[in-house]
Amino acid sequence: MEYIIAIFIGLLYACGVYLVLRRSIVKVILGVFVLSNATNLIIFLSGGITRGGAAFIPEGAETVDPATISDPLPQALILTAIVISLGISAYILALKYRYFDVTGTHDLDQLKNTDQR
Amino acid sequence: MILFALLLIPFTYLMLALLIKKAGIKKRLAILFSTLNLLWAMALVPIVQYREIIVVQMGGWSAPFGISLVADRFSVLMLLVTAFIFFLITVYATQSVDKARRKNGHFFFTFGILMGVNGSFMAGDLFNLYVWFEVMLMSSFILVSLGGERKQLEGSIKYLILNLISSLFFVAGIGLLYGKLGSLNLADLSQKMELARANLAVLNPALILIFVGFSIKGALFPFFFWLPASYHTPPPAVSALFAGLLTKVGIYSLIRFYTLFLYYDAGFWQQVVLWMGALSMVIGVIAASSQYDFRKILSFHIISQVGYVVIALGFFTEAALTAAIFFLVHNMLSKTNAFLVAGWVHREKGTLNLKVLGDMFKKSPVWGILFFISAFSLAGLPPLSGFFGKYLVLQSGIEAGYTGVAMLALFVGLFTLFSMVKIWLEVFWKKQPEDSAMEWPVNQKPAHWMLFSSLALGTAIVAMGLWAAPIAEYCQAAAQDLLNPSKYIEYVLGPS
Repeated sequence: MEYIIAIFIGLLYACGVYLVLRRSIVKVILGVFVLSNATNLIIFLSGGITRGGAAFIPEGAETVDPATISDPLPQALILTAIVISLGISAYILALKYRYFDVTGTHDLDQLKNTDQR
Repeated sequence: MILFALLLIPFTYLMLALLIKKAGIKKRLAILFSTLNLLWAMALVPIVQYREIIVVQMGGWSAPFGISLVADRFSVLMLLVTAFIFFLITVYATQSVDKARRKNGHFFFTFGILMGVNGSFMAGDLFNLYVWFEVMLMSSFILVSLGGERKQLEGSIKYLILNLISSLFFVAGIGLLYGKLGSLNLADLSQKMELARANLAVLNPALILIFVGFSIKGALFPFFFWLPASYHTPPPAVSALFAGLLTKVGIYSLIRFYTLFLYYDAGFWQQVVLWMGALSMVIGVIAASSQYDFRKILSFHIISQVGYVVIALGFFTEAALTAAIFFLVHNMLSKTNAFLVAGWVHREKGTLNLKVLGDMFKKSPVWGILFFISAFSLAGLPPLSGFFGKYLVLQSGIEAGYTGVAMLALFVGLFTLFSMVKIWLEVFWKKQPEDSAMEWPVNQKPAHWMLFSSLALGTAIVAMGLWAAPIAEYCQAAAQDLLNPSKYIEYVLGPS
């Protein structure tokens, strides 16, 4: 299962990087969303995945076999990361909308006016 | 509670500002709360001198399981300088930022930044550090674009996307590090790395990801492009806040990270850090000398100055870390003040293009002298703070045997002087070209609070030069703590 998820994460990163390198701002933004989802999956996977194991220790148990329960911490981290990226997504879309309102373009090549020339 | 208050003060302001509608009351509250924050940060200095490392376990959970707030001498110094700069910029913004922006939450989001910056300086936990970064970034995203001018929106898109990507690098690194070592507490991680010393190679992907995340935040050489593209777009009070605080948080984290983790594999990381620092120094200063905009020149100099701190980190001796901390403090003060003067010029003339400006010294010698102090402190002229900063960096570099890099730093100092003299001549000294005299309404409103902020910072820069010895002594004590991670571990996790 780890291999499948690992390959899937790789694919997501590839898609994200491809989208970030496009010229349209909307696609760049979508690319950032894909990258952030791939990153969340990395956290999930690196904490170790167990099939069907809840993150609870049975009452009164002295020792627990770590292979049978899942680690709750990565899930908590992902939850935090998702909430943060939700807020940022909302903001970045609003910013894009405002930018389109002002300039009428979503071509990244038009964003050269503030650059270091 | 002693550390928690530094988060509670900005948070209380945020909550109050949501309830209050009147811009005047928001402004007064902002000054009140930034004063409180400054007083509290000042009170921490004697406490940290006595207790050496202040540790607070949030919610009473013991160290590796809960979230720890940790402040050693280095953190407290950063907190104090941050509080000082933040207070002065808040006072400055009451007259510099227009009313529409103030009404729409200028102070609200600056306090968001303060909360994030304070949190990052005290975080004793890697994921907690990430969350504070996000608090800080989220507020800064909004501050860059607040006002919605075309160039602001453009700058903020670049700023936002590159910083989001840096956060993703950072989180991915945290995830991998957690997967390998099973902890997020900085002290605990450092301890576990020492135990796993034989197989450190397995941690390298995680460490590199986190390192890249910090480098983007700190605007180091191959990752700095977002900074000069966005820092000159928002109102000057906002640029000053960013220039003084944001990249410095990235550098602070890098120093913390290096002294707790990366030094295990010093042979590799020292080279990386030295190269990146040296290239940032050189490229920042060369790019700056080709610019003709007041704030763009200063923005490129941020990159160059950050390089000095990073090469000092690369030398990695006690003297070098002392120099890095001293230089960081000097740079926060001088850079902020240079931006504050730029804000005044912008208010008087409505532009920051060097070619059309002129005669500003005649207009106000006091502001001229204030620019002179901060610019020549950045360039490293005695007896200002920059001279001692550069002197310490060079001395430690030569002592550590890196004469080449030290000479390069000297050479970069020459270029810095060139840019600063250029601004001085073009903006303050030369006669304003007559054909370029634009129709800019003479600003009748007083600017005495702006002057007050800049004067206070100017005084601090001179004082830091005159009393360099006691400050350097404090920095040295901080550097000793940084070089001794087992002390940090012992204070956070308790005696083993």
